[in-house]
Amino acid sequence: MILVVAEQRAGALNRASWEAVACAQQLAAGEPIAILLPGGGDAATALAGAGEVLTIEDSALASYTPDAQVAAVAGAIAQTSPRLVVMAHTYQARDYAPRLAARLRAPLVADVVGVKGTGAGATFLRPMFQGKLVAEVAPQGDGPAIVTCQIGAFRADAVTKGTPAAARALSVPLEAASRQTVEPPFQEARQAVDLGQAERIVAVGRGIKAQDQIAVAEKLAAAMGAEIAASRPICDNGWLPMDRQVGSSGQTVAPKLYVALGISGAIQHLVGMKGSRTIVAINKDADAPIFEVADYGIVGDLFDIVPAMTAEIEKQSH
Amino acid sequence: MERETLDVDVLIVGGGPAGLAAAIRLSQLAKTRGGDAPSIAVIEKAREAGAHLLSGAVLDLSALAELLPDYRALGAPLLAMVGRERVYFLTEHRALRAPLIPPPLANHGNALVSLNQLGRWLAAQAEAAGIDLFTGFAGQQVLLDGQRVIGVRAGDRGRGKHGEEKATFEPGVDIHAKVTIFCDGVRGNLTKQLRRDLALGQGREPEQFAIGLKELWEVPEGRIETGTVMHTLGHPLRHEEFGGGFIYALPDRLLSLGLVVGLDYHDPLFDPHVAFNRFKRHPLLARLLDGARLVRYGAKALPEGGWNTVPRVYADGALIAGDAGSFVNSVRLKGIHLAMRTGMLAAETAFEALQRGDTSAAGLSSYQQRLEASPVRTELEPVRSVHQAFSHGLVPGLLFAGAAMLTRGHWLGNLHSASGHTHMRTLRWYYGIDMASPTATPAATRAVPPDRVLTFDKVTNVHFAGTAHDEDQPAHLLVHTEVCTSICGTEYGHPCTRFCPANVYEILRDASGAPRLQINASNCVHCKTCDIMDPYGVITWVPPEGGGGPQYTGM
Repeated sequence: MILVVAEQRAGALNRASWEAVACAQQLAAGEPIAILLPGGGDAATALAGAGEVLTIEDSALASYTPDAQVAAVAGAIAQTSPRLVVMAHTYQARDYAPRLAARLRAPLVADVVGVKGTGAGATFLRPMFQGKLVAEVAPQGDGPAIVTCQIGAFRADAVTKGTPAAARALSVPLEAASRQTVEPPFQEARQAVDLGQAERIVAVGRGIKAQDQIAVAEKLAAAMGAEIAASRPICDNGWLPMDRQVGSSGQTVAPKLYVALGISGAIQHLVGMKGSRTIVAINKDADAPIFEVADYGIVGDLFDIVPAMTAEIEKQSH
Repeated sequence: MERETLDVDVLIVGGGPAGLAAAIRLSQLAKTRGGDAPSIAVIEKAREAGAHLLSGAVLDLSALAELLPDYRALGAPLLAMVGRERVYFLTEHRALRAPLIPPPLANHGNALVSLNQLGRWLAAQAEAAGIDLFTGFAGQQVLLDGQRVIGVRAGDRGRGKHGEEKATFEPGVDIHAKVTIFCDGVRGNLTKQLRRDLALGQGREPEQFAIGLKELWEVPEGRIETGTVMHTLGHPLRHEEFGGGFIYALPDRLLSLGLVVGLDYHDPLFDPHVAFNRFKRHPLLARLLDGARLVRYGAKALPEGGWNTVPRVYADGALIAGDAGSFVNSVRLKGIHLAMRTGMLAAETAFEALQRGDTSAAGLSSYQQRLEASPVRTELEPVRSVHQAFSHGLVPGLLFAGAAMLTRGHWLGNLHSASGHTHMRTLRWYYGIDMASPTATPAATRAVPPDRVLTFDKVTNVHFAGTAHDEDQPAHLLVHTEVCTSICGTEYGHPCTRFCPANVYEILRDASGAPRLQINASNCVHCKTCDIMDPYGVITWVPPEGGGGPQYTGM
């Protein structure tokens, strides 16, 4: 059996959890899949059908603490004896997965970007030395192996669903386990964006020329339902906040669609977005390196092309 | 928030070969001579030991053998002993091989090393000896009590772009020491402050520098024999430009290659990175690099002025060693062994001064006598004016170097040369173009568009330097930008955009065409060239938040 641990925050499922489900489905050779949703709640309905949904309802899980999370997942593993435990390589997983592995004396294969084979003989691919090498790893031992999937490595839309069944509640005592109390969530003065969660991104580069021209890109983003992002010079100038920066000194993103406007494609930018499913580039310079990674490219003036695109998308969606 | 202080007997600033050799020597002396072991701290701005170290490098093993005689058993990372040696004079399309190797370039018995690896290994030896190495600590300013150096203040952490205190703010720690040994490298910001505040350069020749650009490549199997050492003169440099190239064949199919250019060139439109790309396009290099892959890139200034430019290296509570004191032999192209040796001599001086309880300038002045009685002087003094001779051009330089070798420097006087940046000519002087006139255009810079296989633009190269800084911190390059917008464009055509090998400086123009300097501080590879070469002297390099900077693994 393969156990997927889904992640939610205030009732909203983390999009990356679907990728963990996709990974598990790829690994399962007819094996049953169970999806554990610590905290339970409405998100269980969304997951139903992708596998048997297990919930643990406990006030200790209302806000994440590593103590309660480890106790809950360890308890679920004890009751279900899975062969593999799969989760997305989120900040939360990074926080508690090593501890869970140590608690269970289980092997941990972190940041997996691919799998080879299915069933018991499957092996895992994970980057090493800052992505210069890819290691093929086979976990050893009888106990469950814990696997975390790099965000963007598996396709969430590849998840297949069977007949939905009602979620099953597990009973795992957590009171004794939790030594931690949660402070009220930290509210940042301005809302930080997690571009890693965005499905569509419109990114602007130097070609936008002036701060007031960013509106051109924002209109396209609004029409597409996309987040706005930028290459470093834009954030450096303060035209957009730093948390919108994509690249080696900003965020790494892998949306379904990445539209690069006036971005030449310096390697520092490419490393932050080359994992995007579909890349569309608009640039005046036909020799710009961005066209080497783009699936669709338009050589031309973005101030002519983008308003036309925006108008067309708006027309289609009405 | 309260500023913390830390008290030690000896503070060593800089975890390079000089600083680490000093630390190791101090711990050895404490063991063999007995008495109270002095407390020692080494601070290093890089996140980990060796990360900011870059050199060719061919290592003269003499100082290492003296510091750690069983260095081979201890696993010193010597990559290969020097084997086949070649010296070439390059024209644009041809390579003329010198019939014999000029004696200063004979490297038989020397070892090829990666200075980054050597630094990491020396740091491990120092830590094994119980030395505290504080990485990620940048020395921000020298703490002075009148004329006496009492320690160093480390840089603050957690300041935002405009200097404001972020949630993570921590004031830099003050480290107080009875003796501070400054090993902060070429154009070290603390040694620069010390030279200014204590007039340590008075009566000495002006410092001279060069910039070295280096790349590490992985070449196809069997391309070149490991241990091969090649040096080149000529192309892409002109007779008026001092410098040359190097190609060292390392094990595991790695090739280290670079170009060193004197920071006293005349042409305001000269760009060392363009020259480096032209160097790589020469058939000698292009053949070696065909089908090869770039692994890493870096750049660093190096002191070239020699013995007569060494400042006063002792003051109340302070000693200077290594590149910070210009201890480099520019004729042999070597400085690592001199850095280690001066570090060791500084350590011996500090140890004795502490035992005697006199760490004043008088108590530390025996460092000067130690240097004069050591191989440092016998190596540097005979060639003391060679770099200065090259400021008259390649041919006079070579003739002078030959004469200095034959006479061992005895019958030659001391040549003088002004600071390198004063040699840069204005556009009007060098090209006869008047940029103030509306029709003027800058002359061609001989740049060829990079092909992204053999040659790269600066931004791509910077990626291969692995440099990283927290973006939300004050710019660590202090520039009086009114010069940029007023006279620099017409006089020199913004040379900072060219001499910086990391694209830190960019001139952007507003709608009216007025220039504005944009400083991409997070590209900086800490080479110090801008602090040295800017013709107006308006750029000051200060350390960014500790831990930031290049990652020179294997360089």
